[in-house]
Amino acid sequence: MTEAFYITAAELAKLSPDSLPRELDSGKHMIYSSPATLDFNSPGAKGFGVKRAGLAIPGSVMLLIAPGCCGRNTQLLNELGYSERFFYLMLDDTDIVTGRYVSKIPEACEELLSELDCTPSVIMLCVTCVDALLGTDMERVCRACFDRTGVKAAPAYMYALTREKRLPPMGLIRKSVYSLLERRKRISNECAVLGFFSALDDGCELYSLLQSAGIKKIHELGRCKTYEEYQAISRSNFSIVLNSEARAAAQDMQERLGIPFIELTRMFRLDKIANQYRLLGQAIGAALDDSAYRADTEQVIAGFKAKYGALTLAVGESLNADSFELALALTEYGFRVAEIYGTVGERNFVFVKRLAEVSPETKIYSNLSPTMMNYKPAPEVDAAIGADACYYHAGKPGVEFNGEAQPFGYRGVTALFGELDKALQGGRGK
Amino acid sequence: MKKLLKHISPLAPDDSGACSVLYEMGGITVICDAGGCAGNVCGFDEPRWFLKRSALFSAGLRDMDAILGRDELLVKKLALITEQVDARFTAIVGTPVPAVIATDMKALERMSEKKTGLPCLAFRTDGTRLYDYGEEMAYYRLFERFAQDKLPVKKGKLGVLGVTPLNTGKTVSTAFREALLAQGWDEVVCFGMDSGLDEVVRAGECEKLLVVAPSGIKTAELLTQRFGTPYEAGYPSGSGLNMPSDDAVKATCGLRGSRVLILHQQFFANALREKYETLAGCKVDVASFFMMHDEYRREDDIHLTEEYELTDLAENGGYDIIVADEFFKRALGKFSGKLFPRPHFAVSGKIL
Repeated sequence: MTEAFYITAAELAKLSPDSLPRELDSGKHMIYSSPATLDFNSPGAKGFGVKRAGLAIPGSVMLLIAPGCCGRNTQLLNELGYSERFFYLMLDDTDIVTGRYVSKIPEACEELLSELDCTPSVIMLCVTCVDALLGTDMERVCRACFDRTGVKAAPAYMYALTREKRLPPMGLIRKSVYSLLERRKRISNECAVLGFFSALDDGCELYSLLQSAGIKKIHELGRCKTYEEYQAISRSNFSIVLNSEARAAAQDMQERLGIPFIELTRMFRLDKIANQYRLLGQAIGAALDDSAYRADTEQVIAGFKAKYGALTLAVGESLNADSFELALALTEYGFRVAEIYGTVGERNFVFVKRLAEVSPETKIYSNLSPTMMNYKPAPEVDAAIGADACYYHAGKPGVEFNGEAQPFGYRGVTALFGELDKALQGGRGK
Repeated sequence: MKKLLKHISPLAPDDSGACSVLYEMGGITVICDAGGCAGNVCGFDEPRWFLKRSALFSAGLRDMDAILGRDELLVKKLALITEQVDARFTAIVGTPVPAVIATDMKALERMSEKKTGLPCLAFRTDGTRLYDYGEEMAYYRLFERFAQDKLPVKKGKLGVLGVTPLNTGKTVSTAFREALLAQGWDEVVCFGMDSGLDEVVRAGECEKLLVVAPSGIKTAELLTQRFGTPYEAGYPSGSGLNMPSDDAVKATCGLRGSRVLILHQQFFANALREKYETLAGCKVDVASFFMMHDEYRREDDIHLTEEYELTDLAENGGYDIIVADEFFKRALGKFSGKLFPRPHFAVSGKIL
């Protein structure tokens, strides 16, 4: 058996995103559904995959139109309380070849409505690889459903086949869930935060900074309890995009609703966080004073380091961060990152290059490589960050750092060190 | 409306069934999909994924692979993996993607064998059928290909077919082996659970076969034809086997004369029926969404194909008690009797 493949940051930095080793290029090998990273291969199963994300609109229901295998793991979502919002139109072997089921979707919508006590805000029509290959015109299907039932319908494209396309399923679903917003009068002191299906951590300084700039209402999908609150997102004077997968949604909102957007990136390096807030301030015409937040965060990091010393860490990718940017930040704070389990691409190659300068020996693994079946954890790791890293380093202190409350800015950094502190004191963090 | 599920979510599909049989066989299993199907198998239908290592992979197909039918790329990736992982055979499990583009699975099988030098089994599953269809196909192909002829029969050796997590809710064979050893067998092999390809090769040694789920019958018939091994369908009673104890059945007061409907895989349900009839004097019917062999089916037993058929049966069948996975509760409509929960992994994904 081949040992788990890895490459050091120094070796990788000499290459380019177009000339990655075969084991880091998921198109060139079979995919290992590592228990550590099941959510990669099963986008509907964990966290906010297409299915759960499609139900982010308050009052919505979903009709999954697919062979049984595509909806099987939806049972995991039933446990989260979604059982009464999911319906299934099962496809048989003739259906998936002929596409004859498409004409039955409006009837299925009508029948599912008869089961409900109240009219849903929208019926999300979730389709899979079958429709990706058959080229089903879902816009037309949605119109036909609306014509038959009087209830809006929107597509949720669970096209695993297109995961590496310019607009992957998680980008498309973000576009879909904002597509029902209707044009309203924009209000100058309101804005929207786009990017996640759940809300930012309550303690995130972004809220206070925006309030200090005169923003009275910050709309977030994850905080909408009613369809009316959801529609109120359209009143935003501008949007802040915190996840590039929401870019297409923001562009669509700009074109349809006239809401411009500003894009920020989730970072864990303090100088980059400060720089982003400076640029945000410039864009909205207000000076955002983040100095107190930065000073507090520096103190938290210094306190942690004084308590635990220069720990050796392993950083995964099943977490609310970019593995490479986070590893770089931790290295710059004076910790040693022995291993990273991550997916290298154009987007994060810049971090690899910088990491190679400050920590050339860091080993980079791909969770998707079949050789990871033979992975043996590095004994020198003191703590693991990320659900996958925790899996690999079972028994060591670790934080999954993949909760639903989204970390961002200085608050993200302090939350991480707070969780690490708890985990190192005893018991594994979440 | 047919094929519309309003109260339950989909049951375990055929590709999960095939993977379940192959899981401990020591081969390289490739699910011919974009990733989601493998995620469903590994993350939901295969509880052993977190307990026992298996070379189970996704082909990681992308849209252009499917549109252009890049079989060579798939075979190339399969060959690469045989250099990285030790295996005695390879298997390719179909999903909706190869079904839509009409992949020639037989050709894939031949191409793979030629490229890797290892035997290859390709399964025409498509995710639209239920798990037992995939299990039946996988058992049959494995034994047809690998079981060795002319082995002397070992007296006292029992081979058990159908022991998969999907049929039994078990991830290890201990409870089955203990129950059957207690019946007087000297050696018990549960094919595919805590046993690999070697036992398949030596299947001809078994004095007798026990088939604990309908998915094993076709293979049992094959082994009877080839080796003359007799088989029996049944489900043992024993600690940890999901079967209520005799005392528990007797203690379920007020059952005598009750009408009971048992909803499970056919052989488990039949064994349970016998208990309720003999120990509690109930009148019992069996119903299942899964495979039901006529030979083991009574006249009033019902094969279900639609969710609304279950609702109708529960509401209008005149039953006092329904024994079923609790997951079916939402589909029982206005049924006013008692529901006795009895988990079935292929239904709710709950292990015992």
